[in-house]
Amino acid sequence: MNRILQVTTILFVIAMVVSGCATPAAPTQAPAPAATEPPAAPAATTAPQQPAAAEPVTMDFVVWSYGIDTIKDNIANFEKMYPNITINLKDYSWLDYHDTMVAAFAANNPPYLLYGSDHWLYEWASAEWLAPLDQYCPNTADYSKELAPYALTGMTYNGHVYGLSYYADTTDFMYNDALLQKAGITVPPASLDDIYNQAKELKAKGVNEYPIIFAWSQKEGAFPEAWTSLVFAQHEGGNAMFDANLNPVFNQEGSAAYQVMEWLRKVYSEGLMDPASLSTAEIDQIKSMQAGAHTFTIAPQYNMAELNKPGSGDFAGKFKIALMPGPSHSDVGYARFYAMTPKVVEGGPAYIDAACKFMDYFGGKTDGDYKVVKRWAVENGLGFAQLPLYQDQAVIDAFSKWGDVPTIKAQALKARAKEGMTPWYGSWDTFARAEIHKGILGEETTMKALQNMADKWNELKASGG
Amino acid sequence: MSTTVSSAAGTAKRRGNSNGSRGSLFSYASITPALLVIALFTIYPVFYAIRISLFQYILTKPKSHPFIGLKNFQEVVTSYYFKDAVINSVVYTIAAVTGVMLFGLMVALLLNSKIRTVTLLKVLILLPWAIPAVVAGLMWKWILNSDFGILNGILYSLGVVRSYIPFLADPVLARLSLVLAHVWKEGPLAAIFILAGLQLIPNEFYEAARIDGGGSLRVFRFITLPLLRPILLVVLVYETMSAILTFDIVYVLTGGGPGDSTSLLSWFAYAEIYKFLNLGGGIALSIIIALITLMLIFLYMRALRTEDTIS
Amino acid sequence: MSKRVRPLEITKSVGKNILVILLIIYIAGPFLWVMSASFQGENELLKKPPSIIPQHPTTDNYRYVFTGKVPTSYEVKGQLRSRISQEARLIAPALKNSFIIAFSVLLINLLFATPAAYAFARMRWRFKGGAYNFILASRLMPAIAIAIPYYVIIQSLKLMDTHLSLILVHSALTIPFSIWFLTLYISNTPRDMEEAGLVDGCNNLQVLTRIVVPMILPGLVAMSAFAFMTSYNEFLFARFLTTSISSQTGPVIISSISGNPDVSYSLISVCLTLGMIPPIILAITMRKWLTEGLSSTITFR
Repeated sequence: MNRILQVTTILFVIAMVVSGCATPAAPTQAPAPAATEPPAAPAATTAPQQPAAAEPVTMDFVVWSYGIDTIKDNIANFEKMYPNITINLKDYSWLDYHDTMVAAFAANNPPYLLYGSDHWLYEWASAEWLAPLDQYCPNTADYSKELAPYALTGMTYNGHVYGLSYYADTTDFMYNDALLQKAGITVPPASLDDIYNQAKELKAKGVNEYPIIFAWSQKEGAFPEAWTSLVFAQHEGGNAMFDANLNPVFNQEGSAAYQVMEWLRKVYSEGLMDPASLSTAEIDQIKSMQAGAHTFTIAPQYNMAELNKPGSGDFAGKFKIALMPGPSHSDVGYARFYAMTPKVVEGGPAYIDAACKFMDYFGGKTDGDYKVVKRWAVENGLGFAQLPLYQDQAVIDAFSKWGDVPTIKAQALKARAKEGMTPWYGSWDTFARAEIHKGILGEETTMKALQNMADKWNELKASGG
Repeated sequence: MSTTVSSAAGTAKRRGNSNGSRGSLFSYASITPALLVIALFTIYPVFYAIRISLFQYILTKPKSHPFIGLKNFQEVVTSYYFKDAVINSVVYTIAAVTGVMLFGLMVALLLNSKIRTVTLLKVLILLPWAIPAVVAGLMWKWILNSDFGILNGILYSLGVVRSYIPFLADPVLARLSLVLAHVWKEGPLAAIFILAGLQLIPNEFYEAARIDGGGSLRVFRFITLPLLRPILLVVLVYETMSAILTFDIVYVLTGGGPGDSTSLLSWFAYAEIYKFLNLGGGIALSIIIALITLMLIFLYMRALRTEDTIS
Repeated sequence: MSKRVRPLEITKSVGKNILVILLIIYIAGPFLWVMSASFQGENELLKKPPSIIPQHPTTDNYRYVFTGKVPTSYEVKGQLRSRISQEARLIAPALKNSFIIAFSVLLINLLFATPAAYAFARMRWRFKGGAYNFILASRLMPAIAIAIPYYVIIQSLKLMDTHLSLILVHSALTIPFSIWFLTLYISNTPRDMEEAGLVDGCNNLQVLTRIVVPMILPGLVAMSAFAFMTSYNEFLFARFLTTSISSQTGPVIISSISGNPDVSYSLISVCLTLGMIPPIILAITMRKWLTEGLSSTITFR
């Protein structure tokens, strides 16, 4: 009797396990686990010839963690407009976002909709992880016409537009005017030499221990934008980093990049730049600026809203933007955008239709108005690339509370997309960050660091990624 | 002591034999559930890993995955980072393991003594081990922050430093900071392991030694240490493995920087896959790391066995 | 031992006490700082230097996490972005997920590893050595390398975004250690009781449940603590295998909060403090059992 009980129990336990394990043979047989061929999309089998407008569609939407309550609210409004569409939100930390999405794509578990960024576009599009939006959503071309050029460039790969802008912004030079005046300086810096001289003054007068800070930790996403902005400002016209055939031009003495690296080495070794810059990310950068620990920094423009927010610190309202110091005052403009994956296309017409409605609502116009983009700009101070919004009174009013709209616009017009956008940009960027660190720390000479960066670029280019 | 224990185990083993076929069916039934769960998550992943490591698997080239034999391994070993990463990993492993062992031994000896304050230490000691590595990393990152970190705040208030120290931005300090956080997280478990070992040493041993007039240092050298040797070796194996595989804490604290100064092999295995999108290369590097770990375990096991034959 | 207290002894004892106090600061300091910070306003924390003891203690941060009421100190004007990481409000459900998963992993470990360890320690059967080595070696590959195949498996089992996926993966990660640990533990306990049980007509399962399990209780407790902690603390797979906010676990949410540009150190502190409570309770209550469990396990050879 006992024996029977015993065997039954064990069989039950085994059954429990086996029932969970019956399918693992499937992945083993799959020829390419990381793979190109998509899973059977849930709707593919059920999709009728012509989709009824009310066919229920459920899509997941992945974002990086920012303004989750606002996003949820936007989704709720969207779902109210289209009761047949359900959006499941998922967020990851900005610092983990790229890597987590790579894992999801590599394991063939893409979401339907997600945030993308210009510096990953070539990588993701060449890996066939994103679907060209302009092929499926007819409104894309109309929206593209109203975009600042840098943003459109940032969302275009191989002649196709891959997204609608969630927000787009410039990387701006910011300074604390109160501290500057404390040192008796009335005109903000207009060149690298100006920054150097003023920083020396600030330090000598005891205003700041380190007048300059950058957010250049290995993991900070905006590292290349800030560094490249400095390079762009020292260079007239295009091709500051690479020529038209994507060959490096920065590895020469006297190049814009060379000047920037030499200057960085100087301000670092003379104690004008916070040594902690090499481990600082945007969050801490902005917080220490608010605390008045530094006078100069370079950061995405939207941070001005936070810096000048009343009550955010003793210096609220004292932060200003100056055009990027350097002869050309050029800087980097970047685009973060809504994108969709091939999974939408495989889902059939109903999914494509729902995805395009989603795009229209979030990145495009509802009733002739960039509703969601405008909301981000007004409520959160996020920048935008939709040029008509510069004429929008609500936006102007909101931005005027913390910034100087003419300067913001002037800088936006000088903004350029990053150069060297290729499938291997991400790999090169990881390498280049370490070399820039070594150059600043003095572990390598400027030329050595730049040459290493160029060699790595050529190696990646030769192997095509 | 050890002789009695091993002979007891020996007897048990010998007698176990007599159980014979009667337990055989029961044995298979007993291990099947566990074995199935493990096999599910071992056989396919290992097969997958080995397979991918022999192909060119660059995610940005979805159309071509040619078989390239051992070329991934060759490329990883000859890559720009390999030599420095090996040096970093070796230095880190030695520093971290030494730190953890010394910390563990010191704490265990204190916990085993009859000092008053030790009761509180006993209650608190396991806390660092119990919390998520991500949480530990975040805490230390904030504590060591060079703009508003509390460690800088304390040193500054006490007048030890005149300006805040960039703990995580200086190549040498960043390495030291990593070891500091690593010992904090890993040391406590080592301490408890060693404490468990200390409590097994019968009091008579110490009393006998005291009567013979041995000072406490001599007692430690000639009684405690030899008797602790086996447990110290076990802790050493475990800690070496966890130091070599360290990833979470580097990921959170430094991200490998500044420069490449804290980029360990495991960090590059991660970067190859998730940043360079070279799946084949990253997995090849992981296999190399696994082989190094396996080799070290073998070496330690041999040392353990020699230990056995000596006693 | 003479009753006169020698000066050398006093110096020694004082020295030891100071050492212990320093160690306590090193161990507990980070925890105390985070707890203290969770009762401070954001601007207080950004002062140079920050104060260790809250000058104006406030429970606003906790209130925000639990009720969504924005702390007054943030002076949110409804216009511009505030230093509020909204994810902070997700921490309570996330910790619940963590707890459910970790507790299930603990149960599976008890259910699966105990009989397996018994078979390894006491029984004689074919392939025993091979199976044992296979189980131990299964944990050799670095997690980052096998993350993608794990992902593929979970997906083909159609378990993405379920608690069950993490329960399975965490079980696979913990069972090998549990088996190893218990096998050593059981080998070190005397067999006499079991023999007696068998003579009395108990079958193997009865011997296991009625005789062995009560005998190895400290070992089981230690093993359970290990399994629970490993699962509760695991980050990489938890990040990859959950695809909706409602199924994320504590470490994933905490990482999200910390990477949000709107991050507030006071809210992070609240989340860290809340996230630490279950492991701290476990660590304090389990310590005695753990030491005892380990003591019996490591007398092997």
